Order: sequence, then structure tokens, then C-alpha cells
Amino acid sequence: MLISVEMPDSADAARTYLRDGALPLGGGTHLMPRLNDAAGTDVRLVSLRKAGLRGIQVQDGSVAIGAATTLADVEDDPRLPYLSPCVRSIASPPVRNLATVAGNLFVPQPYGDLAAALLALDAELDVLDADGVRGEPLERIAAGGLPAGELVTRIRFTAPEQGAFRFHKAARRHLNSGSIVTIAARIAVEDGVVAGVRLAVGGMARRLVRAVEAERVLLGEPLTPEVIARAAAADAFEPFDDAYASAWYRARVYPVHLRRALLGA
Amino acid sequence: MPSQIVTLTLNGAERELIARPSMTLLTALRETFGLTGAKRGCAQGGCGSCTVLLDGRPVVSCLVPVVTVDGSSVETIEGQADGERLSDVQQAFVDGFATQCGFCTPGMIMSATALLDRNPDPTRQDVIEAICGNVCRCTGYEPIINAVLDAARRRRQAASDSEEREPAGAER
Repeated sequence: MLISVEMPDSADAARTYLRDGALPLGGGTHLMPRLNDAAGTDVRLVSLRKAGLRGIQVQDGSVAIGAATTLADVEDDPRLPYLSPCVRSIASPPVRNLATVAGNLFVPQPYGDLAAALLALDAELDVLDADGVRGEPLERIAAGGLPAGELVTRIRFTAPEQGAFRFHKAARRHLNSGSIVTIAARIAVEDGVVAGVRLAVGGMARRLVRAVEAERVLLGEPLTPEVIARAAAADAFEPFDDAYASAWYRARVYPVHLRRALLGA
Repeated sequence: MPSQIVTLTLNGAERELIARPSMTLLTALRETFGLTGAKRGCAQGGCGSCTVLLDGRPVVSCLVPVVTVDGSSVETIEGQADGERLSDVQQAFVDGFATQCGFCTPGMIMSATALLDRNPDPTRQDVIEAICGNVCRCTGYEPIINAVLDAARRRRQAASDSEEREPAGAER
């Protein structure tokens, strides 16, 4: 049962409340369903709604998004058009008006599609601990989690060059459905071959992962269906069964969706 | 943690309540204020039957601890009609037979109202996206989508009628 909700007015105040197991509350779209669901143990929350962590800054291609910025804020921002298809694939408007960007980093798979996009963009997180703010690659937090009592305050990344960002999500329905396979990529093609690529994959493992072996296969090669098929076979993913798809199905369709993500067909 | 006093601007009127930390906005609306239009469906944010406008944007009120929205404006289905006169969206739902059992209707109308407030000329796809979080098990959605498009037409017509009566920039 929810026994307390603190409403700090700054990130520092929020962090000091994050002790003895208290959890940060962004939009509540992941935590609150669990609290509504069952008479569990006592839960204490620290709401970030009024902690001054909402807002988007874009300057000379550098993007900084406050942790408590809503998914709807990202969707509506004309400076982030490349993220709009990703955000619009997540849940529904009444959920996106609550759900936050930092919250999306910590939802379990097969959710966290924006986190996949941010991982492909090599986002760095501002993490607040007792000693102050430090930078952490999202990749490290996605793999290892965030230590208790620490707080993500901001997400930073460099905007992708025109046409360099790809996002593709396979789901049971066009709208408002969890992912079967999600692929986010930042890719540069020069002189007909892949000059740089960063590939994040959702739905194919219990955690959001980077397809490092696929990246290795693609690098220096032309972006053809044959090369992409080889790339799709390169990583040893362990997908899972859930209500959206079986592990078998996910493994079976991943090559198709990798190709669609990178070639559009 | 003790209960707290929470102030909301509820359908335009300032209202106060005493809330425990665990009280959701939906529970406050239904049990404290007696506004039972917003429904408790799944309590998971998945069905949309509890949709209300929070500071003008549609949200699933079952997922919002009410103490976190102290000072906010909340609009519910009960605030849509002007006395006996239904809102344009409500009237379009009635005229288009867009409601059957009615359980989803308050949330559906709030999502549709939020869409038309932001986008007076939505495409069919815009409407589908706007109500994709509102589950209806009766209608098959088509009458609802048609009603929202009809409401948009009515609203644009009303706006152009009033512009004809009072041209923009006219001295009054």
C-alpha cells in the first residue's frame, strides 16, 4: 500500500527523500498499476512532478531533456521530430501525458521504446548522488541499473544528422501496444558503405540491449538485404515469452524487422 | 504520512479535499466529490474509462495520486454540458449513436474534447490516435470516430458562423 508521497521542490530535496527504499515517482504509469493491483508491502514514493526536472533544451545539436519531462512533451516538440514516431508508438495520449522520459528508462522489457531510441543515440544521464551530479552512459545504467538512492535528473545526447536515425517497432496493433521487437539505430552511410552504426534492440532480451555484433557486421559494408541478414544472425539474443509474443516468434521475426528498420522495406 | 489538504480547480470551481497518500485522482473525484462520470475500469491505465483533463490534457486519473496534483485544474465529463445544453462533442455522440452501454463514454468524450481543443480539423487517423487509449467493447469504434469528426465539423461551423456575425478585428 502507498503510505507516503513526498513532493520535493528540487532535485536535491528529492534525492534526500530517496532513502530506506523510497522510490522516485515520475508519471506513475508503471508504478501505480502495481500499487492499484494488490495489497502489497508498504511503499513510499517521492514524486518528481514539482522538482523542477521538466523541460527540453536544444542548443547547437545538443539535446538535454529533464528527467520528469513527459513523453507528450517530447512528442510535441518540433525540435525533436525524429523522436516523434517512437513516442507515438508508446501507449496512448492519456498515458503519455503522465509518463516521463526518465521513467521510460527503467520500465521492464518489452516496454521502454524511448529508452531504446536514447540508447541508439548514445545518451548520457546526469545522475545525482550524495556527492553531486555525475555523467553516466545510459548503456551502463540499462545494463546494470541505478544504485538505490540515486536519481536521474537529465538525459543528454547529440541530435542525429538528418536521416541518420531509424526507429521501427513491431507490435500486435499499430497503436497502444507493447513491443514484439523494437529497433532503434543511428547509422551513417558514406560512399555506399556503413561508416558508423549504433543499434539498440528491445523485446529481444529481458533488458534493453545493444546489438554490438550486428554493428560489427554492418560496419564497412553496403546496406543490402544480404548484409543485414548476416547482421541479424550475429548477436546471441535470448528473447522471452509474454502476452505479446513468444520467444520463438521474436527470434523468428527479428531479422525481418531489422531489415525494415534499416532499409524501410 | 498524515492526510493532506489538496486544492483543485474542478470543472472551473475551486474545491478542497483531505487526501490520504494512497488516494488517486479518480477516487477523489468519485468518492469525495461524487463525480462518478469517470469510471474505474482496469485501474492499470489501460482502458481509459477514467480519463479526465488535467491542466487541459487527458490523463488516466486512476494512476495519479491526488496529492501530486495539488493546485491543478481538472475537468470531467460533468463539466462539459452548460446546464441542459450538451457540449458539441456530447451532442455529436448522442446524434451519432456513438454510445451503447456508456461505460467508456465519459473517458472517450474527454479524450475527444482534448483532441478538438488542440486540433480543430483532425483527420480520421488523428481521431483514431487520440482515442487509442480508450477501450470500447460495444460500438466497434466506427460510430465514435464518426461522432468526433462530426463534432469537429460542428465546432468549425460554429466558429465560422460567429466570425461572420463578428468579423475578426471589427470595432465593437
